[in-house]
Amino acid sequence: MVTLNNIRKAFEGQPVLKGVNLRVEDGETLAVLGRSGSGKTTLLKVMAGIHRAYEGSMRVDGEAIDHLPPQKRGIVYLYQDALLFPHLTARENIAFGLNVRNATAIDREEKVTQVLRSLRLSEHGQKYPAELSGGQRQRVAFGRALIIQPAILLLDEPFASLDFGTRREMQRLFKRVAHQHAMTTLFVTHDAREALSVGSRFAHMEDGRLHVFPDRQAFINDEASGIRDEINFWNEIDHTHE
Amino acid sequence: MRWQRLLFSIVAICFVIPLAVLAYLSLSANWYFPALWSHSFTLEHWHWLLRDGSPLTFSLLLSVGLSLSVSVAATALGFFVSRLLAYHTTSTYWLLGAYFPYVIAPVVFAVMLNVYLLRLGLTGTLGGVMLAQLLITFPYAILFFYGFWNERIRNLEHLVRTLGGNFRTVVTQAILPSARGLIAVCFFQTYLISWFEYGLTQFIGVGKVPTLTIMVFRYISEANPHLAALAGLLLILPPLGLLVVNRRFLLHKAWSI
Repeated sequence: MVTLNNIRKAFEGQPVLKGVNLRVEDGETLAVLGRSGSGKTTLLKVMAGIHRAYEGSMRVDGEAIDHLPPQKRGIVYLYQDALLFPHLTARENIAFGLNVRNATAIDREEKVTQVLRSLRLSEHGQKYPAELSGGQRQRVAFGRALIIQPAILLLDEPFASLDFGTRREMQRLFKRVAHQHAMTTLFVTHDAREALSVGSRFAHMEDGRLHVFPDRQAFINDEASGIRDEINFWNEIDHTHE
Repeated sequence: MRWQRLLFSIVAICFVIPLAVLAYLSLSANWYFPALWSHSFTLEHWHWLLRDGSPLTFSLLLSVGLSLSVSVAATALGFFVSRLLAYHTTSTYWLLGAYFPYVIAPVVFAVMLNVYLLRLGLTGTLGGVMLAQLLITFPYAILFFYGFWNERIRNLEHLVRTLGGNFRTVVTQAILPSARGLIAVCFFQTYLISWFEYGLTQFIGVGKVPTLTIMVFRYISEANPHLAALAGLLLILPPLGLLVVNRRFLLHKAWSI
């Protein structure tokens, strides 16, 4: 379980996070919806330890992690760009975190093969990133994070650069794998449909403040989330075509 | 296609002819104006080069050592200092400062630098020339690498950290593999700057550090065209070798996605 207590962060005197409180339970996916500049990315970077010097406290399974550097937090941050290592094959990219942790060769091979199979990448293991499609690269990036079993996986609009079809496919795959591995994830997006598609719990971020909803219906009903507007928009289009 | 082949042939000839003339001149003897061709040839100059204690061989080895040291130091320092400038300062004055040796011209820079080198007792020494060349190539390397440290590389560094890597892992697994092409090109270019540097080397070295470039000019001023041609050939060969070795990085965007 990951808890954030009154997290505040400012850049050059300008507050970006204004007291964020949050609890993410084990195995759940918290979808955070918010416009650009609302503070979503800053929140993830603070959690990952990339941005230090913040106020408030963070705990993972009851242990304070505020003093820990990014490599000791057990929190992995995935960007929109897959950021694969271009000189390593897909298999080697996925094994990266295990190599850093000095895992044995047998353990590494077994886990990488399992992850490749789980992400339907078995036949692409020996390919270099330049030989993979955008969706395949994202799957490798996902596998690279998944294999080290982080306390929480932070995803910063990971599918935003993909085409519509691949994006839908990746959302389904993410949901399946997250469920299969009981992953704790915080999924940031500005797309309401994506948030509804991947999340098991929902939150909305605006002007540095995070509002967590008690359930899916409350999230849909909330005016600030903009979901009602989006549903009305599509309904209007449907009526226009009729 | 045909005109492209023709153009390529013309360009190739333009490159090969001066080299052929230099080779021809280094092998000729008693070739004086207005004779179109030399009538006698000799290997005397080449034998002289290979003889023990030949000043030209000494110059060649000195130049290779000097340029390798300068380019390796400039590339390594420039790489990490540019990272420091790109990530940890919002001031652009440091970057503008890197243009200084080029804006005022290396020879003028040498005159300014000599005041300090004289006090340090480095004028006329190999160390002084090395330091002076480093002060020219190091800012170049900073400017060269500055653009590399973009948002993507920064994100890659952060990603490696969150995956459990320390700074060493970040450097060896993320930064160096991503920058290897650029590092090779920067090394090549700083090597060229150092290798062909004349004014600054002559001024700081006061003739006591006879690099190959200095020797070429010395033979020309002594009206010894045969040795000047031989020294000229030696001057061209190492950069050509480096060009062949580095061609993969110079012609392609290695490892780019």
